[in-house]
Amino acid sequence: MDKRIIRLTVNGEEHQVEISAKETLLEVLRERLSLTGAKEGCQDGSCGACTILLDGKPARACLVLAAEAEGKDILTIEGLSRDNELHPIQEAFIHHGGIQCGFCTPGMILTAKALVDSNPEPTEAEIEEAISGNLCRCTGYAKIVESIIAATKRG
Amino acid sequence: MSYSIVGKPVPRTDSEAKARGEAQFTADLSLPGMLYGKILRSPHAHARILNIDTSKAENLIGVKAVITGKRDAIPYDWGVFPYTRDYQLFPIDTVRYIGQEVAAVAAISEDIAERALKLIDVEYEPLPAVFDPEEAMQEDAPVIHNDKPRNICVQVKVDEGDVDKAFAEADLVLEGSFKSPDHTYCQGEPYAVLAKFDSSGVDIWCPNAGPHMKARPLSSALGIPTSEVRLHHVCIGGAFGGRSEVSPADVIACLLAKKAHFPVKIVYSREENNNYIRQRVGWITHLKMGFKRDGTWTAVDLRSIVDGGAHASTGPIAVSVPYMEMETTYRVKNLRYNGYRVYTNKPPRGMHPEQNRAFHIPVEFHLDKAAGILGIDPVEMRLKNGMIPGFITATGARITSCGLTECIQKATEKARWKEKKGKLPPGHGIGIACGSVMSGFPMGIRGGSAAFIKFNEDGDATIISGVVDNGQGNESMVSQIVAEELGLPLDKVKLVSADTYICPSDQGAYSQTATLISGGAAKEAAADAKRQLFEVAAKMLDARPEELEARDGNIYIKNALDRRVTIRRTVINALANDITIMGRGYRWPDIDKDREWVTNPRGQFATTYSYGCSVAEISLDMETGKVRVINMVAAHDCGYPINAMAVEQQLEGAAWGSGICDGLFERLLWDQGQTLNGNNLDYWFPTALDSPPVYPIIVSSNDPFGPFGAKEGSLSIRMSMYSAIACAIYDAIGTLPSEVPFTPEKVLDAIEKWQKEV
Repeated sequence: MDKRIIRLTVNGEEHQVEISAKETLLEVLRERLSLTGAKEGCQDGSCGACTILLDGKPARACLVLAAEAEGKDILTIEGLSRDNELHPIQEAFIHHGGIQCGFCTPGMILTAKALVDSNPEPTEAEIEEAISGNLCRCTGYAKIVESIIAATKRG
Repeated sequence: MSYSIVGKPVPRTDSEAKARGEAQFTADLSLPGMLYGKILRSPHAHARILNIDTSKAENLIGVKAVITGKRDAIPYDWGVFPYTRDYQLFPIDTVRYIGQEVAAVAAISEDIAERALKLIDVEYEPLPAVFDPEEAMQEDAPVIHNDKPRNICVQVKVDEGDVDKAFAEADLVLEGSFKSPDHTYCQGEPYAVLAKFDSSGVDIWCPNAGPHMKARPLSSALGIPTSEVRLHHVCIGGAFGGRSEVSPADVIACLLAKKAHFPVKIVYSREENNNYIRQRVGWITHLKMGFKRDGTWTAVDLRSIVDGGAHASTGPIAVSVPYMEMETTYRVKNLRYNGYRVYTNKPPRGMHPEQNRAFHIPVEFHLDKAAGILGIDPVEMRLKNGMIPGFITATGARITSCGLTECIQKATEKARWKEKKGKLPPGHGIGIACGSVMSGFPMGIRGGSAAFIKFNEDGDATIISGVVDNGQGNESMVSQIVAEELGLPLDKVKLVSADTYICPSDQGAYSQTATLISGGAAKEAAADAKRQLFEVAAKMLDARPEELEARDGNIYIKNALDRRVTIRRTVINALANDITIMGRGYRWPDIDKDREWVTNPRGQFATTYSYGCSVAEISLDMETGKVRVINMVAAHDCGYPINAMAVEQQLEGAAWGSGICDGLFERLLWDQGQTLNGNNLDYWFPTALDSPPVYPIIVSSNDPFGPFGAKEGSLSIRMSMYSAIACAIYDAIGTLPSEVPFTPEKVLDAIEKWQKEV
């Protein structure tokens, strides 16, 4: 397979990685950079567990080729807490019961961040629409929506 | 009773790691030299394996081990019960479902492993197969297991009271049938196993609902002592009953690791996860119910046919549980039940809380039908027949704590039943259903839990407990219980759990006992440790141990709160006096040990039972048949909520899983033993857009056995909300489809059929 070196900017840090052309961003994040927060749930982009932010917008890392992500700003769940301090959305999920098994959580929190960054006071309906691509088997989404609303009130 | 930590809606101890993305699931783990495993699966639903040629695969560069059941597995028929040993986890000569494991490869990359699979040549002799359980029970059906005539895996028989007399004397007798298709667990996290095998034994990480439950069968399958099978703690992305038993992938990963002399990780695809660990049963029920004019339910006769797939799994339990739950929910005393678990050539089916939908829905629907004919409100029907404390059921189960009446009252009040029933606009309906779930059923020598507690120099405590957490918050629950009992803040209590090497045996997240038994054992251990702390502190405070209490990290003299000493100083004082404080405790369910699912279904079969009431309001589009759930109310008696927020989490998830997922959406489609929709896109898995408001209500009946009065946390809702929706549909349109899920097509068919009859 074609090997090449690419530069990826992940959580504000630049990495040089040797990849094969067909490797996905998810594979590179998890296996090369040991950033296992983004999860593999389905291999077809349907579950949202691999969601990361590319230039601030949610993207399925399992459907993005690593090479395509070169030159873009990649944010994973590990990059969300600055200097170890939790982001308000993470705090809200913890305090409002938005997390059960935790498998969908990284993707869910990042999707919520992208929403709230562009729409600081989303309605419940807007939140449900935004997270409709993140499947959760445990919660029924009730406390996830509550957590996101609580995060917006904290500012 | 006012507590510091239990009963409060505190953030769970596991949440921060998950929010940060630090929590490690099995697929996130890696070990030095790790290889990647892939499994070759049978394309036939039923076949003899004649020959397997792995030579080409073995010669592929990068392949480190190739195994087959035929060559590498120890002949071992596994079963949950001694009389259900029908499962060669890695088949030696026969495959019984499409997808069954035939060979496996470990290689330096997933790509190479997959290429190697294609180089394995398997010669099969296809055999006749059967896919429908009623067909499988015919005399001339293909035989799936030679020792099971008519493919009947188990038959559960109950016959209590005088059913025929009660029907003869009934004022109203109703009959009906209902079915539910098979479906899949679809846990968030796809199954994965990491195994490392060396001269000291095997280390395994995998999603599980009870590591001790897997260790014993693995030791038999691998031919090594149980003490050398070490299942370790890992973060688990949901189980829902589908990860309770040892799995072929567990055995295969270990055998690959043994042969390759390096650790092997197998990560399942979404399709593999949904189809080849466990699926969920398909179920058919035929029933007859008898009533008196005043609404008393006097008799019931049920016959269920359960499509269990090719192996027994927890067959006797799966077939019995829905019946037993009915028996502990309602006071009917004349009961007959014949439940058949039947083999078909499909993947094996495990336990799932929502498995009873084709049992529970027709029972609740016929209660409403009877209520309508007899002129009784459905709520009155439930109150009249619903369980009360002190009752002894027909098969001899003793009911202790029971908050069903309060659940019904609170749920119907919240749902504004009186304002709405009979007064909603056309196409709208409201429905009620009740449930009860056992907490602590017989599990033989593995039914108990034990815990140890040690103290660190800083006065923090560490609990060692076998408790397992699949995402429902069990780790936090045990930590809260111990923190409360010891008088320590929650962040000063650490937990080492779910590790068979270190932790004493625990029954796992089986039979709804994590709080009752695992939590109970931890409380015993904490009480034991506290006794020892008080002995030491009493001397320090010049008091008697019985005068002391502990709270907020301090030990006080009651009624003289200024006289106190910190727990930390007490621990150090003990150590300075050559005393090591160590807590130990264990707990076992209080059950009749002679009761057996099949051979003797009589006696106390669980320590206690939770109770709940589901109410759902729906609207229905009469042109499209689409059901829209307007809201759901879920009132559940959990005895006492160790963590109120965690219980609410469970109630909301249960209401959605039951009412929306199972009531309206989920079903597997088949073609000759091949699932057609075993992935997310085609399975029609509901999203956040399909989640209506849920109102959780916690009822506390203070169970006498449970720690702080707590028992099972939410399952009554998971096992009843679909029935509330069914009853709401019946309320709206006067009829009900005869199967779930209640898709628009089925609802329209039911309306059309009803209109023709009328």
